[in-house]
Amino acid sequence: MMNVTIGQFFPGDSFLYRLDPRTKLILTVALIVLVFISRSFIGFALIFLFVLWCAFSTKIGLKYMLRGLKPLFVIIALTFALNLFLMRDGETLARWGVIQITTGGVRTAVFMAVRLILLVLCSQVLTLTTSPISLTDGMESLMRPLSKIGFPAHEISMMMSIALRFIPTLMEETEKIRRAQMARGADFESGNLIQRARAMVPLLVPLFVSAFRRADELAMAMEARCYHGGAGRTKMKQLRFHWRDGAAVGAIAAMYALMIAFNALGVA
Amino acid sequence: MRSVIEVRHLTHVYMPDSPFEARALDDVSLTVNEGEFVGLIGHTGSGKSTLVSHLNALEKSEPGTVFVRGIDLGAKETKLSDVRREVGLVFQYPEYQLFEETVERDIAFGPANLKLDEEEIRRRVRAAMELVGLDESLREASPFNLSGGQKRRVAIAGVLAMNPSILILDEPAAGLDPAGRRGMLELIRGIHESGVTVVMVSHSMDDVGKYCDRLYVLSHGKIALSGAPAEVFVHGEELRGMGLDVPECAKLAAALRARGFDVPGGAYSRADVAAAILKRFGKGGDAE
Repeated sequence: MMNVTIGQFFPGDSFLYRLDPRTKLILTVALIVLVFISRSFIGFALIFLFVLWCAFSTKIGLKYMLRGLKPLFVIIALTFALNLFLMRDGETLARWGVIQITTGGVRTAVFMAVRLILLVLCSQVLTLTTSPISLTDGMESLMRPLSKIGFPAHEISMMMSIALRFIPTLMEETEKIRRAQMARGADFESGNLIQRARAMVPLLVPLFVSAFRRADELAMAMEARCYHGGAGRTKMKQLRFHWRDGAAVGAIAAMYALMIAFNALGVA
Repeated sequence: MRSVIEVRHLTHVYMPDSPFEARALDDVSLTVNEGEFVGLIGHTGSGKSTLVSHLNALEKSEPGTVFVRGIDLGAKETKLSDVRREVGLVFQYPEYQLFEETVERDIAFGPANLKLDEEEIRRRVRAAMELVGLDESLREASPFNLSGGQKRRVAIAGVLAMNPSILILDEPAAGLDPAGRRGMLELIRGIHESGVTVVMVSHSMDDVGKYCDRLYVLSHGKIALSGAPAEVFVHGEELRGMGLDVPECAKLAAALRARGFDVPGGAYSRADVAAAILKRFGKGGDAE
């Protein structure tokens, strides 16, 4: 449970870390769109090169980033298998009854798998290099125009940052309670579905009790410091765009230009 | 003396190969003998809690081995339920694990997991409640309506109802007021006197000095000092270096020694130090 790296912040300091979170949010969306635009493996190579640069310039390393793929392995493998066996394009390479593998199927299967992997890697660059606090700050700032039409931008971002903040705490708490009940002979691993669901009661009841207690204490602590919502609230860290943000936008724009050129030229 | 727990060269690393890698235990070896009251002391983050998890097979012992009554906890054929029946583990703030509607049913959770018959479970629940000093009338009460100290007693009763021959407690007195603290420690002394081998994790030197036969001091995942309380408390400087301290009376004894008074090096309890002072100043008589 503790080995899930997807969505986890990796503390550090580099060009990417110092980018404005708004820039990073928008550019990540742009990058994801780019992954979908690409029609060639050369295009994927271009994006992968960019991911490599991100991995090494931040000292995160590719190995650590690839670990984030682990929870999605099943989905990627399933997509790969479905495309491989069900696509009927090009020459037939092998066939068993209704199932056949074609050259087009192989290409599509690899293409889709690479696309999924790149999607995960690109979105990981954002979460790994942006602390949850600045991420929600960036979101709040981007959503602010919507508050004119009554959209609760501040409340949503506050809820998100609190939720993000408490995920590790609650995971730790779950682990603690799980161990305590296991020490009392609780068995969470065997039995049929109903037995397993019932075995969760000794875990979930204390967890809910403690989550409510924490929520209560947090609300009290926030009120004690005069929190009353977003109106008129100032920020300690003001978000400001720098030359870096311009450079980053330029780099992504260049990648777009290249990608469109690749597609127009029809390279593989 | 027969050893009931043997830990040999135990090392534990959390989240290896990640930036969050942490070495919680580093080549730890220790022994607990039948009927002993052993104290495990260390600063926050010294690896105490990880170590006690190993003693109940909640963590895998690799590299290193842990034996409980001769059973190798790392071995594949070892049934974990046998180990957990033998070793009762009470975590820090155990009251947070309560979940049942009534005190009785919560205490019965452990014995029920051992698949005992109803008559036996009822008998054990009653015995455990008596041992921890919970009144019969609380049997039908909701554990969530009790006071903090009572909740903790319910949680400890829940472990005792499994009849462990070894009881391990992680900071049993944490967060209790002075009276609750004394009550809790006296309760543990009573459990020990009923024939249970006790391992208590604590960072209060006064508590372990008063109750334990033998101490292990953990620092940065290593056993830094071990021995009888008197042998450990003479290392005042080292203990302070680890973010720990010595009992108040041992400090007084050390200060007197430094001024050239004849106070024995092993004196740390109130009675011993008072006796030494009275002897030095020639009054004699009752130490307390």
